[in-house]
Amino acid sequence: MNRKENFTAGFIRENPVFSLYLGLCSTLAITTTLNNAIGMGVAVIAVLIMSNVIISLIRNITPSEIRIPVYIVVIATLVKVIQMLIKAYAPSLDSALGVFIPLIVVNCIILGRAEAFASKNGVLDSALDGLGMGLGYTLSIVIMSSIRQILATGILSFDNPFNAAQNIFSIRILPEDFIISIFSQPFGAFCTFACLAAGLAAYKAHKEKKEKAMQKEAK
Amino acid sequence: MDWSHLFVMFVTFVLINNVILNQFLGMCPFMGVSKKSSSALGMGLAVTFVIVAASLVTYGLYYLVLVPLKLEYMDLITFILVIAALVQLVEMIIKKSSPTLYKALGVYLPLITTNCVVLNVTLNNIINEFTFSEMLVYSTAIPLGFTLVIYIFSTIRERLEACETLPSWKGNPIALIVAGIMALAFSGLLGLV
Amino acid sequence: MVTAVIYLALLGGIYALVFYFNHKTPVPKGCENLKAQCEGCHDLSCCNNPSHDK
Repeated sequence: MNRKENFTAGFIRENPVFSLYLGLCSTLAITTTLNNAIGMGVAVIAVLIMSNVIISLIRNITPSEIRIPVYIVVIATLVKVIQMLIKAYAPSLDSALGVFIPLIVVNCIILGRAEAFASKNGVLDSALDGLGMGLGYTLSIVIMSSIRQILATGILSFDNPFNAAQNIFSIRILPEDFIISIFSQPFGAFCTFACLAAGLAAYKAHKEKKEKAMQKEAK
Repeated sequence: MDWSHLFVMFVTFVLINNVILNQFLGMCPFMGVSKKSSSALGMGLAVTFVIVAASLVTYGLYYLVLVPLKLEYMDLITFILVIAALVQLVEMIIKKSSPTLYKALGVYLPLITTNCVVLNVTLNNIINEFTFSEMLVYSTAIPLGFTLVIYIFSTIRERLEACETLPSWKGNPIALIVAGIMALAFSGLLGLV
Repeated sequence: MVTAVIYLALLGGIYALVFYFNHKTPVPKGCENLKAQCEGCHDLSCCNNPSHDK
């Protein structure tokens, strides 16, 4: 089914973070803790779905030469609204993510999906694609930030973003003496990212080999 | 004019708090343009032009227009439109004045409109509440650090193309490991200031 | 509220003007088919992405 394929494309086959290398800036910078990752992921999903829908609605009336600035202005308005909402209802998230919330505007994922998909397809398809890509992005950064947080502090914890003092869960996985604190530094970010990207590439190559072998057998 | 403070700021933002290796901004051109050193230099030069111009214009616009009119919430859209217009203006000026310069950096100018670095510099000028001279130092130090790192990275990457790598590590993953080692090296400069 | 709309319209107008002027200036001789030697950027919104050439 074409719609289902489009929806699940964002998870493994066209994973925006590890396969298409979009949105690298925010991925490397904010994946230090699980809180940040989940907060950023939800913000990106919201912006993606809304921007895909709006751009799909106006796709027939924007002239082709200035479509990029028009998309950017639409996305900027949405991001400013989301930023004001986050500042009002989840101020701890705002101070943790800092300048990366306004930088969602130039996040390559959103502009890339708008250009590649929303400008050519209908509203429901674009919304589903936005949801799929957003979920794929959130899943990827949650995995990466869990790895980094566990290796750097030994604790996996999640606070309520609307009420920073309330801790939802906090599990100690590595004992205090075995933590590798360099994973909260840039070096750790680059290395974790590279390992995960290589892992995904290896998995995809393995699947392709199996498919080719099955196709050869079928002939 | 506190020259020592400005000098320390300059060194900090070029080497220690480097825009690519520490703040993780500008990763898209970092991965995309760094396969040849000549294109890396062209990109760095274009980014310098745009950041200095955009910094000056947006700083003036924010403090002279947005604050008196109480429109501070329009800062994001304003900055983006100003950056986009400036990129077009810079491209037009370069086309008319110097074909050699256009050959070197003209192609990279449209890429800079959606670059994290430019938007981040303009936003940080406001968030950190820099004075005018601090803003000038900040907006020249950041692109200098960017050019330095992207140039070094491109020279390493040119050598990396000739090496044998495992198939799943080829291309971007191994380049990111190199970037990590560079980040480690640069973080050793922390004791400089 | 009205100032915001007028202000946005002014900014958009300035952008449209500058874009129009840039569109009108011809590329200098010898630079007609320059291609940015960048690759590996999967950003489809980037005008230099090779998928736009087909």
